[in-house]
Amino acid sequence: MKSQISGSKLLLAILKKDLKVYSRNTIYLFLTIISLVFFVAIFWIVPDTVEEDITFAITPPLSELFSEGRDVLLAAGIPEQLLEQFDDLEAAFEEEGLMLVEFENEDQLKKAITQDLEVYKTEQGRFVIHDPDGEQKKPENSKRIRLDIGMSFPPTFFGDVVVGVRPTVTVFADAAVPDEIRGAMQGFIREMAYQLAGHELPVELPDEEMIILGQDRLGAQISTRTKMRPLIAFFILMMETFALASLISNEVLQRTVTALLVTPMRVWHFLTAKTIFGMALAMSQGLIVLIFVRAFTAENWPLLLLTIFLGSLLFTAVAMLVGAAGKDFIGQLMFSMLFIIPLMIPSFAVLFPGSVATWVRALPSYPIVNLLYEVTIHGATWADSYTSLLYAALWVLIIFAAGLFVLKRKVATL
Amino acid sequence: MSINRVLKILFKDFSVGPRKSFFIWALIMPFALTLLFQVTFGSLFEPKPRVGIVDFGNSAVTTAVQELEGFEVSILDYTDELIEMVEQHDLDAGLILTAGFDEAVKAGEKPKLDFYISGESLASNRIIISVMAIEQIRELEEGDPPVDVQMVYFGEPGLPISIRLVPVIVFYALVMAGIWVPSSSLVEEKERGTLTAMMVTSARLNEILAAKWLLGFIFATFLAVVTLLLNRAFGPRPLEVIVVIIVAASLTSMIGLLVGLYSKTATMLFTLIKSLGMFLFIPVIFYIFPDWPQWIAKIFPLYWIISPIWEVSIMGEPLSSVWFELTIAIAITLILIPLLLLIRKRAMV
Repeated sequence: MKSQISGSKLLLAILKKDLKVYSRNTIYLFLTIISLVFFVAIFWIVPDTVEEDITFAITPPLSELFSEGRDVLLAAGIPEQLLEQFDDLEAAFEEEGLMLVEFENEDQLKKAITQDLEVYKTEQGRFVIHDPDGEQKKPENSKRIRLDIGMSFPPTFFGDVVVGVRPTVTVFADAAVPDEIRGAMQGFIREMAYQLAGHELPVELPDEEMIILGQDRLGAQISTRTKMRPLIAFFILMMETFALASLISNEVLQRTVTALLVTPMRVWHFLTAKTIFGMALAMSQGLIVLIFVRAFTAENWPLLLLTIFLGSLLFTAVAMLVGAAGKDFIGQLMFSMLFIIPLMIPSFAVLFPGSVATWVRALPSYPIVNLLYEVTIHGATWADSYTSLLYAALWVLIIFAAGLFVLKRKVATL
Repeated sequence: MSINRVLKILFKDFSVGPRKSFFIWALIMPFALTLLFQVTFGSLFEPKPRVGIVDFGNSAVTTAVQELEGFEVSILDYTDELIEMVEQHDLDAGLILTAGFDEAVKAGEKPKLDFYISGESLASNRIIISVMAIEQIRELEEGDPPVDVQMVYFGEPGLPISIRLVPVIVFYALVMAGIWVPSSSLVEEKERGTLTAMMVTSARLNEILAAKWLLGFIFATFLAVVTLLLNRAFGPRPLEVIVVIIVAASLTSMIGLLVGLYSKTATMLFTLIKSLGMFLFIPVIFYIFPDWPQWIAKIFPLYWIISPIWEVSIMGEPLSSVWFELTIAIAITLILIPLLLLIRKRAMV
């Protein structure tokens, strides 16, 4: 008696078989677990802050510099009300992007630059100077600060410049400090002296609000950890290409697919099962990682889910293309790389400042990376994302059609 | 052991090698990594402030900024283009110099400065570029500044990240060629049964193993040399660098032979290389992060080859300064020979 087997039962049977084969493949199971743990660990290790400031030191402390400067000027007969510009100078040292540490003397300052003395910043924003060879313990709940550069002013600097005496300021720097920072600090001292000497700026500066273009992220820069979030999700999706490609490759190499075709299973059952299995594999891992790196929010989860779904489809399709070649383990690994490396490029572009090159935008993985980036970092909404979604869907459709076509042809010719 | 047979097996491996995917991959990897690290990561870890200038009057400021170290300068033709690039953060800042700007500054007319900063630019870059721009404009006034600034430097100039990444690339050249190539070749021969076939000829197992070791050794030496040349990191003592590379290639090929002998299948080989790779890779990380406690790196075997490569090729030290490290590396290589003899039976699995 011939019994009718439904398509869904057939699909389920193939899926069960694939799951069993996958779980028996220790190499991929091992790689999957290692990658998940590795990526999540990397995410939490990477710093969540952006060092925006130029850290520099001065001696003597500002209060001493100003008081000595005042004394010199008062002695030279300059009335006290004309000394108000000192307040502007004090503000210059507190400019955003500069972190100032004050030292009592030049010897201490030099030791701090050569790292013989350590500088810590407490949670309250106070700086503590610590001698690592001394008996005193390191301050608790504080972060070590590395000084880029140190300036030693003569105590009478301000007064000397105003009365026309040309003072000498010694700048101490570690030779590793980049040229541009050294140049900026020298320029900072010279400009301060110009202002004190009454040389106004040779140009008229525009208003600060006028010159900042785009969203001002001062003090709120995107940290490397935050940038890693979409990158990690993308890498996990990509890793699944290897696993699924290997499963398909084995079926082709060992011709188990031809054995299966003798049963009521048809080619479309095989292709659908592979699609479902590949997608489930990639999507589940993508979701696990996104949960562990805290990417989901109450607002973004549906959009993020759809992005992960499209990404899973894309890499499943790539796996079909690779797997259809039916190469042995190492051959398949190398062949996968030929597809994976170009698809990886947009994910690196995320780490760089500025817009992405046109040729990178043309790559099939770009819209997926862009969506992950915009949703997890900039909180993009459906309205912001529909173009990228359509672009991603188009690429998925093209590669999926190619993957299905190639695999179908391969199965048919076995 | 017949040298003639060893060379014949080696010649066979080299003649069929270029058709093998692992061979091609080992060859491509150092080139790809050089490109990736030098171009991509070189600018990622140490980004320079990026300035764009639109100059409508052949200003001396433009020439001066172009000559400065530490900035990435783009000269653009259109104001709109500059504004768009700053807005997109393709530039940290943009400067527009109108026709007659220099003359106006010299005449004390205080012309308005068209200066734009990207909102995504770091606070430090904003200060650096602003101060630099003002400094260069001040230069037009041709007067001495009212202060004398003296620079005093401590320590050695830091090495750029692109150089600190060289050990990573050399490591890959040595590992891909020294470990991956002989082990893959051996495992492939096991899986395809050609190893058993060879054993029924007059070839001995020791000769086959010697040929595989030589395969890895020659390939690793060649790729490490090419990698250092590509990265212009051969230093002032190229012959001494080659000696160090020879010792390094001997060790990695020996590890490759052991891994290949131990692995029954390609899957097992891949797992072993993956797990072993992390262990072998650890000392390399310490060159990227010189602030980390360096003694930890010494626990790992490949430290003893990466350290001499670093010292002789990058730091330009003589061979005599790394004799201890090289002795340890040679000792490790020799210690692995008895282990190789112990597991040689696995070749016939």
